[in-house]
Amino acid sequence: MAVVKPKVAFYWMGTCGGCEESVVDLAERILDVVAAVDIVFWPVALDFKKADVEAMEDGSIAVALINGSVRNSEDEKMGKMLRKKAGLIVAYGACAHLGGIPGLANFHTREEIFQKVYIEAPTINNPKKIIPQLETEVNGVKLTLPTIYNTVKKLDDIIDVDYYIPGCPPHPDLLMGAVQAILSGNLPPHGSVLSPNRNMCDTCPLERKEDKIIMKKFKRIHQIIPEEGQCLLEQGVMCLGPVTRNGCDAACMKVTMPCRGCYGPTDEVEDMGTKYASALASIWEETDEEDVIRMVKSIPSFAKMVYYFSTPSSILKRKKMEVIP
Amino acid sequence: MTVEIIEKAEFEPNILMFACNWCSYAGLDLAGTSRMKYPVNVTIIKTMCSGRIEPTFVMKAFKDGIDGVIISMCHEGDCHYMDGNYKTIRRFHLMNNMLESFGISKDRVMMVGISASEGAKAVKVITDMVETVRTLGPIELGAD
Amino acid sequence: MTDNELRIGVYVCHCGVNIGSVIDVPGVVEYASKLDDVVIARENMFTCAAPGQNAIMDDIKNERLNRVVVAACSPKMHENTFRNACEQAGLNPYLFEMANIREQASWVHPKNPIRATEKAKTLIRMAIAKARLLEPIDKEKSSVKDKLLVIGGGVAGLKATIDAAERGMKVSLVERNPSLGGNTARIGDLVHSEKTGHQIYMEFINRIKNHDNVTILTNSELTNVKGAYGDYEVTIETKPRYVKPNIPNPEEAIEICPVKTLNEYEYGLDDRKAFYKPFKGAFPDEYLIDIDVCPKERCNKCVEVCGEEFIDLNESATQVVDHFGTIIVTIGYDPYTPKKGEFGYYEHPSIITLMQLERIMSDRVMSLGTVGASDPKNIVFVSCVGSMQDPNIEGANTYCSRMCCSSSFKNMILLKDMYPNANLFFLYRDIRTYARRDELLYEEASKKRVIYVRYRRNAPPLVTVNGKVEVQVYDQLIGEDILIPADLVVLANGMVPTRGYDRVSELLKIPCSSEGWIQESHAKLRPVQLPSPGIYVGGAAQAPRDIIESVTSASAAASKALIPIIQGEVDLEPMIAYVDEDTCGACGVCITTCPYEAISRVDLEDGRQIARVDARLCAGCGQCAAACPSGAMQQRGFKDIQLMSMINEVISK
Ligand SMILES: Cc1cc2nc3c(=O)[nH]c(=O)nc-3n(C[C@H](O)[C@H](O)[C@H](O)COP(=O)(O)OP(=O)(O)OC[C@H]3O[C@@H](n4cnc5c(N)ncnc54)[C@H](O)[C@@H]3O)c2cc1C
Ligand code: SF4
Ligand code: SF4
Ligand code: SF4
Ligand code: FES
Repeated sequence: MAVVKPKVAFYWMGTCGGCEESVVDLAERILDVVAAVDIVFWPVALDFKKADVEAMEDGSIAVALINGSVRNSEDEKMGKMLRKKAGLIVAYGACAHLGGIPGLANFHTREEIFQKVYIEAPTINNPKKIIPQLETEVNGVKLTLPTIYNTVKKLDDIIDVDYYIPGCPPHPDLLMGAVQAILSGNLPPHGSVLSPNRNMCDTCPLERKEDKIIMKKFKRIHQIIPEEGQCLLEQGVMCLGPVTRNGCDAACMKVTMPCRGCYGPTDEVEDMGTKYASALASIWEETDEEDVIRMVKSIPSFAKMVYYFSTPSSILKRKKMEVIP
Repeated sequence: MTVEIIEKAEFEPNILMFACNWCSYAGLDLAGTSRMKYPVNVTIIKTMCSGRIEPTFVMKAFKDGIDGVIISMCHEGDCHYMDGNYKTIRRFHLMNNMLESFGISKDRVMMVGISASEGAKAVKVITDMVETVRTLGPIELGAD
Repeated sequence: MTDNELRIGVYVCHCGVNIGSVIDVPGVVEYASKLDDVVIARENMFTCAAPGQNAIMDDIKNERLNRVVVAACSPKMHENTFRNACEQAGLNPYLFEMANIREQASWVHPKNPIRATEKAKTLIRMAIAKARLLEPIDKEKSSVKDKLLVIGGGVAGLKATIDAAERGMKVSLVERNPSLGGNTARIGDLVHSEKTGHQIYMEFINRIKNHDNVTILTNSELTNVKGAYGDYEVTIETKPRYVKPNIPNPEEAIEICPVKTLNEYEYGLDDRKAFYKPFKGAFPDEYLIDIDVCPKERCNKCVEVCGEEFIDLNESATQVVDHFGTIIVTIGYDPYTPKKGEFGYYEHPSIITLMQLERIMSDRVMSLGTVGASDPKNIVFVSCVGSMQDPNIEGANTYCSRMCCSSSFKNMILLKDMYPNANLFFLYRDIRTYARRDELLYEEASKKRVIYVRYRRNAPPLVTVNGKVEVQVYDQLIGEDILIPADLVVLANGMVPTRGYDRVSELLKIPCSSEGWIQESHAKLRPVQLPSPGIYVGGAAQAPRDIIESVTSASAAASKALIPIIQGEVDLEPMIAYVDEDTCGACGVCITTCPYEAISRVDLEDGRQIARVDARLCAGCGQCAAACPSGAMQQRGFKDIQLMSMINEVISK
């Protein structure tokens, strides 16, 4: 008797491709996955077309794992299409989960970004100052491009998401765990983030010297030669570990690099950036208001640092623009 | 008269004020018992210490359409829980920095020490803040 | 009814006309009754009165309410009243929430009834939103050690000790100085009494010195405080006196001791030896050696006179660790010491402080001759020295010390009686004889023809010393400069927080004002309590006070401090922080944040670490909850979701 294997789709949106790589990080375990499921769509690896998926019956895909942020109108269309076709949608990786690094664009307008990327960047040679157009004619043929949105969104801003696998990229164990849970039907509540709901320090291998952490100066990791094995907060480095959920096996801290928050906050925290500010202010001893102001000013792009991976999932989502196009 | 008529009038800002139980909430009570008057635009939420107030609350307030936020606390050195208000001061300035990144005017938030005997100061703070925010106009956040 | 079905009762108070005359109470009730989960909404004329409370209690029973919201006055007024009513009716008292529509609406917006009514609705909506998310809190209890600690042995400390001891309580009284009595012991005739300060002090001493319940530790200070409400573990260090009691020939030892130092017990009026007794009539009536001034290579002269068995220059400090149920802090004040040159101080012997004058007048051992003013013709008092200073100056004492005016009057009257021909000038900023009998002194001094000269803060009297002392001052009332050749200048120095107050504040985790006065929880509602439970305060440690106020507050503190000890068990602060142990990753941010060191790391059986709050130590400030980056730490009654739900309702959706 032929077993009907569940159909699985992988799709990428506004992403760097690292999430796709992380699937390969499953190493030999990928063979078990391939044996257990029927991959029906995976643009980076397999030659299925959009039309093939469109032709499928609604709900016929068991699960679609989508990585990347919603950067343009194409992403939105594909997301909505996959939502129809798939029983379960998994936001895979920091960009789909939180908006990811592309989300930092929300501190700028689309026009500012075009200007920077296509005109000002030192590596650009664009004498005609051409920026992406929605339509253009080349040799009499009309070409179109999707609209790049002004605001980067996370996946659940456009469709209902069943589960989230966090990380930039996710740890392969999380993917494996999710696949097993889906195959066994032993699913957690709708909307769960499939990694432990606890902050990073729990699994961090770095040691504390003192019970209390007192910050006197704020440093970025490149400004010091860190003491191996010692908690980075104690060394004055703004590690986001305390405000970040774990599941990554403390990958960065193992090599004495600070956590930058790619797993997002715990379920209890609504906004990891403001929460981090609140925590940082609590372990910092300065009492003179003038000095406080001076020190805050000395931190370059504080907001971008605390929202490195999560601007679109912050409460305010984006900067207020001067001109709304 | 109905609410509609009120809405048609001049822009009336909504101000949210956080007050710590011991000093500023008591100062606001004093303004009341002394029958002082202040604009009706302000709504007060009490916490035991200003050290309980998080920048998250302020962002949330703006997200909900509140036009301005006052964080009131005991005077420096007077916090009833030793040093809660110093944490507030630090949180406030980190938050201001973030608000600026989100394009929100710093004038929409205010941090102030109000003691239990400063009913008049509470009144002045509220009155001034309502006027400041009235000039700034309704809160606008980044749109898609 | 399912277990989690919400059944909210809303009670809107008229407060007579206080609310009802501005806010459309029936309209608000009507509005509230339509909100989700509200099963009953009522209006009351006076919700806090019996019929109002009964309505709530009946509804809890009959309507099976599981949340109660009262919209009325400030929670500072009646929150406890209503919580008790809920509890009596069988509802957990923490399932109650209040909306302050009087102090925050009707009273402050009387001219705007329509919008005040809208605001009342908003406040109620917010209270209901929070009420939905409230959780029952079981009050935790802690047992209480049956011993009281009093810190500071001035009149306030003595009074608290007597009150407690005479009610059968064990008390330890810790005094930093070698003798008890504080400042009062050294004051002579008092403003408010026929008795002298010293007499009052001796009466107190006689009542405690042989009392079975009292342990007196002089020359002692706290060095460590651990534990919490109910069981404070305190380490007390007693400095050595080096001299045994009943020593033979003590006066000879004083005579022979070669080291002189400024006598702090006479407020620096004269010198004392390294071997000394604090002052005449000091208690304990014992000698000691000031080891800090005794030369490093000891001269041993005193040992030669008195014998080795009575003096041990190598004696070391002793430490005791004891457990106390409650603590009273009565560390008093220090008289302000004028800076060198401030109104000519230290520049001429006959420019003295009021406290020094008190010593002269008190003993009459010393006469005015000691300060070179044996038969003064012109005596000038300068008021507000070290008080009411310019607030624009950094570190200024802007408060009024409250005693210096009256004490000056008392002394001027005495001086006038002693020197009927002397002219007395009172250079003042403001005359504040605020207490009942003080005004009579003012009158009497006026009858005795004291000359009043009002000076301005920005034109203080100029005291010049050029062989003789002259005081130049601009008289604000006659608008002229006047020049007084002075034989005696008395600087009416005020009170400042006692040195080392910050150490006490740090050890006991009690708050001080920016000047350094210990700050009670609420001047009117909790006048002798501090936020740290089980610690109380009295006397001039709180603010400049006279003896009457000092002993009254000390008595109040004693009665408050005895309640927990008598009960043997206390309710701990209910609105405290707690950790969701699943979410906590032991980052330690909360441990750093907590001003009360109430949080510590705990190892779980599975090898994980987490943070845990000691309910006995937590004061319920919520700072850790704001700080906790994982959201594991929450404060009962002020949880993230509860506060967020209120913010959510500020603008009607
Ligand atoms: C010029 C002047 C004149 C005054 N005249 C009058 C008057 O006529 N009538 C009147 O009613 N009031 C008068 N007062 C006020 C009076 O002196 C005070 O009200 C009274 O002394 C306050 O008593 P107390 O016990 O609170 O403080 P204090 O008398 O200051 O006693 C505090 C005690 O605590 C001890 N202490 C401090 N720190 C510690 C510590 N860390 N550990 C242990 N012990 C500690 C101190 O050594 C001291 O013994 C006068 C004040 C001034 C300045
Ligand atoms: S290095 Fe970062 S993650 Fe690790 S314990 Fe320190 S703060 Fe936490
Ligand atoms: S701050 Fe929060 S996560 Fe960190 S140790 Fe405390 S309770 Fe745990
Ligand atoms: S609420 Fe938190 S910070 Fe405040 S006393 Fe309690 S444990 Fe400490
Ligand atoms: S109690 Fe008011 S700021 Fe802490």
